[in-house]
Amino acid sequence: MDFDFSDDQEQLRDACAKWVEKGYSFERRRATVAAGGFDRKAYNEMAELGLTGLYVPEDLGGMGMGPVEGMVTLQELGRGIVIEPLTQALIAGAVLAGYAPDAVKADWCGKVASGEALVVLAHTERGLRYRTDSCKASATQNGESWALTGDKNVVPVGDQADAFLVPAMANGKMAMFLVERSAKGVSANGYGTQDGGRAAEVSLKDAPATLVTLDGQTALEHAIDIGIAATCAEAVGVMDQTLAITVDYMNTRKQFGVVISSFQALRHRVADMKMQLELARSMSYYASLKLNAPTNERRAAMARAKVQLGNSMRLVAKDAVQLHGGIGVTDEYIVSHYFKKLTQMEIAFGDTMHHLGEVSSRMQDTAGVFA
Amino acid sequence: MDLAFTPEEQAFREEIRAWVKGNLPEDLSHKVHNALRLTRDDMQRWAKILGKKGWLGHGWAKEFGGPGWTAVQKHLFEEECALAGAPRVVPFGPVMVAPVIMAFGNKEQQERFLPGIASGEVWWSQGYSEPGSGSDLASVKCKAEREGDHFIVNGQKTWTTLGQYGEWIFCLVRTSTEGKPQTGISFLLIDMKTPGVTVRPIKLLDGECEVNEVWFDNVKVPANNLIGEENKGWTYAKHLLSHERTNIADVNRAKRELERLKRLAKTEGVWDDARFRDQIALLEVDIVALEMLVLRVLSAEKSGKNSLDIAGLLKIKGSEIQQRYSELMMLAAGPFAMPFIEEAMEAGWQGNYPGGVTANAPLASTFFNMRKTTIYGGSNEVQRNIVAQTVLG
Ligand SMILES: Cc1cc2nc3c(=O)[nH]c(=O)nc-3n(C[C@H](O)[C@H](O)[C@H](O)COP(=O)(O)OP(=O)(O)OC[C@H]3O[C@@H](n4cnc5c(N)ncnc54)[C@H](O)[C@@H]3O)c2cc1C
Repeated sequence: MDFDFSDDQEQLRDACAKWVEKGYSFERRRATVAAGGFDRKAYNEMAELGLTGLYVPEDLGGMGMGPVEGMVTLQELGRGIVIEPLTQALIAGAVLAGYAPDAVKADWCGKVASGEALVVLAHTERGLRYRTDSCKASATQNGESWALTGDKNVVPVGDQADAFLVPAMANGKMAMFLVERSAKGVSANGYGTQDGGRAAEVSLKDAPATLVTLDGQTALEHAIDIGIAATCAEAVGVMDQTLAITVDYMNTRKQFGVVISSFQALRHRVADMKMQLELARSMSYYASLKLNAPTNERRAAMARAKVQLGNSMRLVAKDAVQLHGGIGVTDEYIVSHYFKKLTQMEIAFGDTMHHLGEVSSRMQDTAGVFA
Repeated sequence: MDLAFTPEEQAFREEIRAWVKGNLPEDLSHKVHNALRLTRDDMQRWAKILGKKGWLGHGWAKEFGGPGWTAVQKHLFEEECALAGAPRVVPFGPVMVAPVIMAFGNKEQQERFLPGIASGEVWWSQGYSEPGSGSDLASVKCKAEREGDHFIVNGQKTWTTLGQYGEWIFCLVRTSTEGKPQTGISFLLIDMKTPGVTVRPIKLLDGECEVNEVWFDNVKVPANNLIGEENKGWTYAKHLLSHERTNIADVNRAKRELERLKRLAKTEGVWDDARFRDQIALLEVDIVALEMLVLRVLSAEKSGKNSLDIAGLLKIKGSEIQQRYSELMMLAAGPFAMPFIEEAMEAGWQGNYPGGVTANAPLASTFFNMRKTTIYGGSNEVQRNIVAQTVLG
């Protein structure tokens, strides 16, 4: 057991932190939000740092790194509430490298790593809620080729992505496919999201698709778990910064002739925020360190982590706004954007209640070593 | 003890219900039931309908043209309006400034201002908070200097709710810097069309401009717009606060929104998820408990036997409930609450909302907006200080 970061990991952290601080100002972010919620240029800058290829093996053109590097990276991006979805690149890199046939890997992994191709997971469907064992979209096979029909909702940057990873039912079983946005039969209607980012409704009508794997459920659950670990890490960064902003404000804002940080009622709230933040950081470590564990163990761990992170995010987000008073609910002041980011992250890849259900149904009646 | 309302009270409720049914425009209740955006005209249309009937100032005494209802009747009226989906009455005129004008204004002022408030013609705003004075309201700096038969006002107010529509604003202004801060404050009514008044809307986190900054630059205000005595404004403001009692809890609206939450949970398929439904159940218990608290206050007011000084508790619990139902509605929709499509929050939008259920469009925005409820009207921390003070001494 060792929770120290290696020198290489620290270097990666520094590189990310520097980019966020120098390259991703709040003004730049605000302009991106106003322009629709995605900036390919910013995404490419992350690609230049190698971040989009973190989970792509070296022989396929990536960095061949693991969950801890993913965690370090997303924590730093979280501090700057970066909206360009690096998590999607991590999912695409790992899923394609882990499940796709060699030819598909050869075609796509390098492009995902270099940022040339933005590939996103398109799995949300109305009525499914957070289920991963089936869906309505369906695939039909014609010789070597496949065609997909169905609607996928709230797909991250769906109208700007180059391709989608799409679960669809093939002969009664869920399989995973890759569909290019430019393919015939594909349409994507984009819109902004509550956190300032972008999503789209993606509609497939007999759209030509490439098979990634026939065991779609395994691949989808793995994809979601990568998403959970990444979201946990990102949330820690967002919360770190949220608390820092709040503390700064409390140490300058005066009411009744004193700084509001002198009120004991508020000091205890800050203590609770810190408690939730450190529990969250711990469970983010846990999630990352379990991401390569055997499936059942990994799934149980991600659910536990997401419950803690969800609870932490809710408390930190709400208290941060509350402790600011009126200024906390304005668009102009930065803290409301952190609040909205945390709200949306709590829902991403399954909300707290959903994961509590997962933990509950997987719970063992024997005491034992949890880790 | 009896939980039921008296037969007379029930008859009163029926009368109100029938009237609201016949007079509340359907397009307005549609917007309210679906949390769609209300325009100035929407709010004022309902205010004028109530005004015409003499019920906009439904808490007013008969001598000022009000219906002279009991506390219970007021409650029943508010409940029927809320359940029917009537827009909330913008309180600044009829609920806030009018009682002050009645209690402390002179006859000329009462005749000049009350009719416009009662009819819903004149839009009022509340000018208390300043950038440096929020919880510590007694520290207001906005200055009014007497020059002959006028005051010259200089300074800034902020967080002025719906001030962009405001025609008049009632302000706490500093008229003296001697003695305790509370003793140098005056209560001044200002025509917002006077030269030197500038209003700048503030965009909130949900994208709407609900509050404003208001600047006063050498604004000339006639001295006969001063309510009561100079430097006594703090006392009048406190009187006003004591008038926002049970309606601060907004339990009637919570009852309506609980039903909307249940409808949404069914549409979104989480009604049958025991884990989710338990959360709704907990909220339902909270709302019933809050309602009982409200009814106890009303009963005490009616009998005059036990005075219950628990306005702080009503504010704390009521605001937390508002935040909770808006949160559960958002969570019910989950990913489908995340698209931010502003047009979809306008009535009559014909576009395709993601997943096809347009009712989900305002859920996240409402949840965001509700953060304000624990901040304004005396933050919940300040309320807890007050409650603690009454308990601990
Ligand atoms: C949407 C909205 C609408 C509003 N509408 C109006 C309006 O129409 N007219 C108007 O005049 N005002 C209005 N307000 C202002 C509102 O009343 C103030 O925001 C509120 O009083 C808090 O003041 P503040 O924002 O300056 O926060 P601050 O007073 O700076 O408070 C910051 C934090 O410190 C806490 N705090 C302060 N003092 C203490 C203490 N002694 N002990 C413990 N904690 C403390 C607060 O609870 C808060 O968490 C509105 C505000 C909002 C958000």
